[in-house]
Amino acid sequence: MGGASRQGKDDAVRNRERVQSRAHEAELIREAQAGSRAAFDALVRQYEHQVLRLALHLTGSEHDAEDIYQDAFLKAYRYIGNFRFECSFYTWIYRIVTNLCLDQLRRRKTRREDRAVVVDRAGDEIDVLASISDNRSFSDPARELDRKLLGEKIQEALEKLTPRERMVFELKHYQGLRLRTIGEMLNTTEETAKNTLFRATKKLRAQLAGLR
Amino acid sequence: MNCELAQEWIVTAAYGELADEQIHELERHISGCAKCQEEREQALALKALADAHPVAEPTPNLMARARLRLDEALDTLPPKHWYERLGEHILNNLASLQAAPAAALLLVIAGAGAGVVGGYEFAQGRAAHEAVAQAATSQARASSATALPELANVAGISEIVRRPDSEIVDVSYNQLVPRQIEGSLGDPAIRQLLMLASADASSPRVRNDSVSLLAAECRAGHSCQPSGIRDALMAALRYDKSAKVREKALEGLEPYVAQDVRVRDSVLEALLNDSDPAIRTEAINLLEPVEADTSVRQVLYSVSNSDDSPQIRNVSRQVLSRMPEIQ
Repeated sequence: MGGASRQGKDDAVRNRERVQSRAHEAELIREAQAGSRAAFDALVRQYEHQVLRLALHLTGSEHDAEDIYQDAFLKAYRYIGNFRFECSFYTWIYRIVTNLCLDQLRRRKTRREDRAVVVDRAGDEIDVLASISDNRSFSDPARELDRKLLGEKIQEALEKLTPRERMVFELKHYQGLRLRTIGEMLNTTEETAKNTLFRATKKLRAQLAGLR
Repeated sequence: MNCELAQEWIVTAAYGELADEQIHELERHISGCAKCQEEREQALALKALADAHPVAEPTPNLMARARLRLDEALDTLPPKHWYERLGEHILNNLASLQAAPAAALLLVIAGAGAGVVGGYEFAQGRAAHEAVAQAATSQARASSATALPELANVAGISEIVRRPDSEIVDVSYNQLVPRQIEGSLGDPAIRQLLMLASADASSPRVRNDSVSLLAAECRAGHSCQPSGIRDALMAALRYDKSAKVREKALEGLEPYVAQDVRVRDSVLEALLNDSDPAIRTEAINLLEPVEADTSVRQVLYSVSNSDDSPQIRNVSRQVLSRMPEIQ
């Protein structure tokens, strides 16, 4: 009994915090719409990490990720006056980012660029796996190499998806968003997002069949 | 349940998106179907395999660099013009009303009702005070030693004060002084006046002349900066009541559709919202070269389904069919 009432209290506290946080964000948005640069900067700080993370994982390039970050927030700044609170600001900003990422992916497909590794601004390869902490005291170099090669194979398979399939898989598998949210961001339905995810996983399985 | 549906549900379930009752149904199917059991193992294995390509967190250096670059770009952007903010405010309010037709109808009825009642009260009050006002005014005229100035070119009234216990009213006003200037199209003063005329002139002819000149400058590539002439043309395209002016503005923006995303967006907006079919058709022609932009495709797709003009629906479908497959 005590546990249930404590759970209820925790939920009420969380709900209140959520409402307060949304009210605070709505206030920031209105101030930004009225021309407040400080309010817009505060909004950028709330979302910049996720935006850069998404762009970096999709493009595999720090330079391209920076460009997408720049274009997304400049677009948001220009069009924030058109935001009508019909969806969450989170969905709105992600809609801008995903469109930019899709454009980038389409351009790459047109130019047939092949980027199987993440590169930094100087063009040097970043070993993403090395940046993931390894709890084991002694790492096995052969195993590390296998993991690196596997990561490259995964990236190659992802690049064979259509831009839209890649985007849905990225948002679902790597960013952990719900299909309904993904549908809103891509201006489509949850059902379509679900079908796209299914097609993407089928294609990936076919590409990676030899590795399992 | 057949295996084809089960395989779709397996993927959905692997990502935690299947409804509880569907999970139950799926489990019943899988328990009796070896093929689908294998499918589920494969789906889970793929999930685990995909994690071999982990998501890298942006480094602090990258974050700092990106933020600095954004700050520099925002610092160089000009502040929004008053007409841009007003336009956004009006459009947002209109959109709210469109989304609430019942509220809009109530507003109209309330407004009309208030107008009828207010008008009646006003007429009653006016009749009662007319005789008194006439006498007082004649007296004021007889006693006033100040001659009324010539009231030409009044720009605006800044203050009205009624003297206590009197029918005398003090009115402060501003008066326009007509001036003329001549110079070349490259002259900054001339350009500034042309940009003002494109937004503020009450005469459609003057607005048309100014937008035509500005558009010609842009098409000729004569210093058509993003903040300045381009802004003025985009505002004219969005807000001007004259289709002729909007058409000229669109022509002036043509060279920048590919390179300037703001110009592209304003052309897309014209395609979606302009009341003149000729302008919407011209907008489609301007957008055709920009095939990599997702927004362009989305708008063309929407227009091909919902535009009032069959010709425009047809033209957009043709343009879409020439683009690589929409995915």
